Amino acid sequence: MTKSIDTSIYAAVSEAIRAEAQRILSDGTVTAIVGYAAARRKGSAQPIVISSADDAAKLIFTPACVNNLAVYLTKAKKEIPKKGKVGIVVKGCDLKALSGLMGESQLKREDLYLIGVPCAGVLASTVQPATELTSDSIAPKCTECDAQLPGGCDFVPPQAPLTPGQTRKYAAEIARLEALTPAERWAYWKEQFSKCIKCYACRQVCPFCFCEQCLCDRNKPQMVDTTPRPAGNTAWHIVRAMHLAGRCAGCAECERVCPMDIPLNLLNRKMAKELKELYDYEAGFEVNDKGPLNSYTEKDDQSFIK
Amino acid sequence: MHPEKQKHTFEPKIIAFVCTWCTYAGADLAGTSRMQYPPNVRVLKFPCTGRIDPVFILKAFQQGADGVLVSGCHPGDCHYIAGNFHARRRFAVFRKLLEFVGVDLNRLQFSWVSAAEGGKWVEVVTDLTEKVRAMGPMTEFRELALEEQWSGAINTPELEEAYNQI
Ligand code: SF4
Ligand code: SF4
Repeated sequence: MTKSIDTSIYAAVSEAIRAEAQRILSDGTVTAIVGYAAARRKGSAQPIVISSADDAAKLIFTPACVNNLAVYLTKAKKEIPKKGKVGIVVKGCDLKALSGLMGESQLKREDLYLIGVPCAGVLASTVQPATELTSDSIAPKCTECDAQLPGGCDFVPPQAPLTPGQTRKYAAEIARLEALTPAERWAYWKEQFSKCIKCYACRQVCPFCFCEQCLCDRNKPQMVDTTPRPAGNTAWHIVRAMHLAGRCAGCAECERVCPMDIPLNLLNRKMAKELKELYDYEAGFEVNDKGPLNSYTEKDDQSFIK
Repeated sequence: MHPEKQKHTFEPKIIAFVCTWCTYAGADLAGTSRMQYPPNVRVLKFPCTGRIDPVFILKAFQQGADGVLVSGCHPGDCHYIAGNFHARRRFAVFRKLLEFVGVDLNRLQFSWVSAAEGGKWVEVVTDLTEKVRAMGPMTEFRELALEEQWSGAINTPELEEAYNQI
């Protein structure tokens, strides 16, 4: 059954973001703000970097504000943080990515001014931007979100997001796959991976894929075939899931940008699930300088080792 | 005196990634003590289990391994203090990933074999070899690699013959 989701607070949230942006830009707290602005198509939104208080009026927050802007601070706009303190508009999931990046010493908290957004959910990548937000059109990641209200920000609009109970879409799909036999799972993933065209959009958009040179691009030695064909694709996806295990913030940007509609985030979320079970680790708002895979305890499970 | 050699129809290829300080020395001990173990295992020596990247296991399967063994020092005995503790977590998670994409975990074995455990090395290698022998060849990754080289349909006897020769 389709349930509509209340996004009435978004107008007031946008208003509050604009006022705050106006204030911090004019009093010089920050030199620039990364946020969302309306894009050309009706109802759509796009990332924007503003550096003048006059542009603050451009900022918005709507269900079309899907991007995780954290990526702009590590890769695309690497030079931004160097010019002084930067403001950034973050949803809860984006904030988890920022916390992870701070833990990995990619960013410093004192260089950032965090504008947190109380978020009731954003639209799935498969629907038109002007669509109404319902339990059908919502992004799958939002059905599992435990971070509607970001914590530890410098400013959060006072509105409280409404959190309707929803069916956890990824959890359901992971459970379905786990119940299959290995051969069936192999067939499923073979089919999915064979669609990959190796555009690396998933890598470009991921805040954690910030390596200057990716292992998958190296050819001496070549560990992963670069061809967009079955063997290379399978290796790419396994390596990608492994390198993000214990780091992924679950923003599902990788899956959103994939032009071939591969359910990429299933792999990342499966890893997150295992890390939770094995080492009680979960991506969150607090900054940890050690992730689950670069720390250990002497009592870790070793029942699989002879 | 050598025991009578048994003939098998399938000889699995086992790749063993071992650390130089414990398991490699353990395997060496098995050799110098003249213990017999299946010659199916190809040993690759690393400084530490912490240096064994999961991608090596993937590569081994892609290149035709039927089984993979990863072995190093017992917890607490690492020459680099904590390399094997890190490896333990990494491989625990990597196993789960392989399982999720549909790889049969019976082909992948982890073990701790110290420099004094020549006998344990023999046992681990023999067990894995026999287990994998019973399972037959690992075809999944090899098929992917073949598909990589053959894009067209194999629809003539000549192609069929050439294909079967790879
Ligand atoms: S792997 Fe995907 S979901 Fe995880 S942080 Fe990267 S883009 Fe976000
Ligand atoms: S975005 Fe999709 S098609 Fe592109 S490399 Fe990633 S998985 Fe492959």
